Amino acid sequence: MLVIRRRAGESILIGDDIRIEIIETGAARVKLGITAPRDVPVLRNEIRLAGEANQAAAREVTAAALSRLVDRLRRT
Amino acid sequence: MPVSHTRYFGTIDYRDESVVRFPHGLPGFAEETRFLLIDQPVNEPLVFLQSLSRPDLCFLALPVLAVCPGYQLSIPAEDLATLGLPEQPQPEIGAELSCLAIVSLAEDRPPVANLLAPVLIHWKNRRAVQAIQAEFGYSYEHPLFAEAAPCS
Repeated sequence: MLVIRRRAGESILIGDDIRIEIIETGAARVKLGITAPRDVPVLRNEIRLAGEANQAAAREVTAAALSRLVDRLRRT
Repeated sequence: MPVSHTRYFGTIDYRDESVVRFPHGLPGFAEETRFLLIDQPVNEPLVFLQSLSRPDLCFLALPVLAVCPGYQLSIPAEDLATLGLPEQPQPEIGAELSCLAIVSLAEDRPPVANLLAPVLIHWKNRRAVQAIQAEFGYSYEHPLFAEAAPCS
C-alpha cells in the first residue's frame, strides 16, 4: 500500500481523471472531495460491506431452519 | 385490500399501513424501495421484511433491542433526513421508530445479526433506511447465541 501524507487543500491524482482532494481534517475524521468520471463507481467501503451482508442475508432459508431459529430465540 | 406474493407466507393480504418505503433502496438492493413488514405472533420475535416488487426477496430481522439491550443509535445526518427526523437530538427507539437488525442464517455457521447497519422505520411517515452506524463498533455479524457475546 502506498502511504502519502497530505494536508487540507492538497490533492492526489489517480490515473488521468480521478482526483481526491483533502478538504478538511479533524481529530477523528477527514473530509474528502472526489472527482471521477461518471462511469467510475465511488462507494464508501461500509456501503459495499452492508451490500454484501444483505446479499448473504437474502439467501433462501428453509422452513425447518426458520422454525429452529424461532424456537431458539424464544428459549434465550 | 392489496395482495402480495411472499417468499415464506404464500399470497397474503396486507394493509397499506404495513408498507414501508426505502427511498434509496437498501445497500446491494438499490431498486427495492417498498417492503412489507410482516410480524406474526407465531414467529415472534422474528419479523420479516418482504419486498413488494420481488416475491423471492425477504429479509429476516429482529428488534435490535432484543439482540442488544443497550443498543445505541448514531444515525448519520443524511439518513435522519431520509427518515424525516431532525438532526438533533438522536432519536430514540420506540413506538414511532423501529430499529431492526437483519438476521443472516446459513447452513454452515451460526445465525448472525447485522448490528452495524440496522433498518430504521419511522412509522409517522413509514419511511425507512438502512443506516450504517460507524460510531460504536457494532458488528455486521453479531452472533445471536454466542455465550455472553458483547454487542460492541
